[in-house]
Parts: sequence; C-alpha cells; structure tokens
Amino acid sequence: MSEFLLRLQDSALAQWVGGAETLLAYPTILTLHTLGLSIVVGTCIVMDLRLLGIPRGVPLAALQRAPLLIWTAFAVNAITGVLLFLPSAEQKAFQTVFHVKLACIALALIVYVRIRRLVFRNAATLSAPVPSEARVLAVVSLLLWTGATVAGRLMAYIL
Amino acid sequence: MDALVDWLRFTQLSLLFQQEVGWLWPLCESVHFLGLCVLIGTAGFFDLRLLGFLRSVPLHAAWRLIPWAKAALFANFLTGLVFLISQPDQYVRNVSMWFKLLFLLLAGVNALVFEWFYSRKLMALDPHGDPPLAAKAIGAVSLVSWFAVMYFGRMIPYLVPDPVSGV
Repeated sequence: MSEFLLRLQDSALAQWVGGAETLLAYPTILTLHTLGLSIVVGTCIVMDLRLLGIPRGVPLAALQRAPLLIWTAFAVNAITGVLLFLPSAEQKAFQTVFHVKLACIALALIVYVRIRRLVFRNAATLSAPVPSEARVLAVVSLLLWTGATVAGRLMAYIL
Repeated sequence: MDALVDWLRFTQLSLLFQQEVGWLWPLCESVHFLGLCVLIGTAGFFDLRLLGFLRSVPLHAAWRLIPWAKAALFANFLTGLVFLISQPDQYVRNVSMWFKLLFLLLAGVNALVFEWFYSRKLMALDPHGDPPLAAKAIGAVSLVSWFAVMYFGRMIPYLVPDPVSGV
C-alpha cells in the first residue's frame, strides 16, 4: 500500500501538481475544487431548505434539473480532488480527518440519491406534501455536507 | 500601506487573535467556507431566476432566499475581518486580495442597486415571466462577480508578497 502511494507521489503528474512553478498547478486546481464545492454544497443546501419548507412558494419541480448541476460540479471535484491528493498521497491516505471527509461525502451522496427517489421521482411525488422521511434526510444532508466541508478545511490543520 | 499593516499588527485585538490562532483560524475558515456555499447556493438560485431560468419559481418566492445570502455574507464579513486583523501583512499588499475586494464591491453595488431601485418594479411584473434585459444583466453581473470573489479569495495564499524587510 505504502509503496503504491509513494509511486503515485513520485509520478510525473503528482510532481507537476505539487511542484510546478506556476499558478496553474496546485493553486488553480484547488480553486476549481472550491468553486465546485460551492456549487455542490450550495445547491444541496437550497434543495434541503426547500424540503424543510423554508423558501415557501418555490415549487419542488424547479429543482428537477439540479442533478445536472450537482453531478457536473461533483465530477469536477472528484477529478481535482484526486489531483490534489497525488502530491501528498502517502500522508493524506492515512489522515483521519480526510477519512472523515470522504465518509461524509459518500453518505451525503447516498442521502441525496434517496431524496431524489423519494421526492423527485414523478409528478405525483412532486406535488404531494414532502414526506417526513425526506425532511429528516434533508437535515441529515445539511449535517453531512457541513461535516465534509469542515473536515476538508481541517485537513490543513490536523495532519 | 505598510504603516497600516504595522499599526494593525500590534493592536490589542490582533495580538489576541494571533495568540488564539490555533483554534480561531480553523474555526473561522470553516465558517467562511460554509458561508460561501450558502451564499452561492441562495444568491445563485435567485440570479438564475433573474437570467430567465427556473421560470416555474415566482420571482417573489426566489427572493425569499436572499435573507440567507445576506446572513452568509455577514458571517463571511466577520470571519474575513478576523483573518485580516490577525495577519494584515498577508492581505493588505496582496494583489489577489485587492481583486477580491474589487469584485466584492461590484457584487455589493450591483445587489444594492437591484434592491433599492429595481426589485419593486420587477416584483410587480408577471411572477413567472422572462425578466427584462436589465434584470438579466444584474443577474449575470452578480453570478460572475461572486465566482470572481471566490476565485481571487482562494488565490490569496499563493500570492502572498514577500515579508517587509526588518520583520
């Protein structure tokens, strides 16, 4: 495992991401990761708030196309996330707060897919009152995305 | 500018923040990042509506998200002040910081112009209609400038100027 991680870390790509003397390497990749995060988490927050009844008068159907936005931004973050991981693969792979971040993201995505199936499946579910399970899941989703964002930030502090 | 940095750095508040940096920075950074998510999610949703997307959403209903954007902006203003006061030398002479502030000003003036001079007129129009060109322009300026604020904000640590000599 460690040997594989070290080989990743020594790859030309990892060296470029971590060491190139250009703002296009690590800083730009990290910035894209931040923009992607704001879209994924921001859109999920709006969806969760709506499920909790907060912006009254916004029809649920308006969020029908949110998955396009969320999955596109998520793809950007999966790719930039792997790139950011490479230069310090050996350290990050064993970093507890990074495991917490990945677990929060995985669970948040599962919750998200479940919410889509519960509420956004068809016209009937969209016009029905939001089931209580979906409201509970919306709260869980808010907590998990908060956890993922905070854990990501703490990766710079709890090594 | 250097005089400002030197003054700020040795104020009681700055010294206190520097002393507590170990927990204060991670906490404020976490809040700052959550704030930017809420801001982009809610203001972005309204901006998309202004641009003519999401027309099933009545304009006044989308407007109800704006208090969330304002609260998030306020949280980010406060946490941003903590960063600035505790490490002024990282920010005051940082070109990325000035670009961030420029776009923040643009986003702010744009939002105030909308709220003070235009929102009432717009809300009186068809709630499901395609907004007029002026509204679309405001929505576009808002989206672009908020993303620019994030872009230049994230670039700040990579454009930190060399320390002033004698520090």
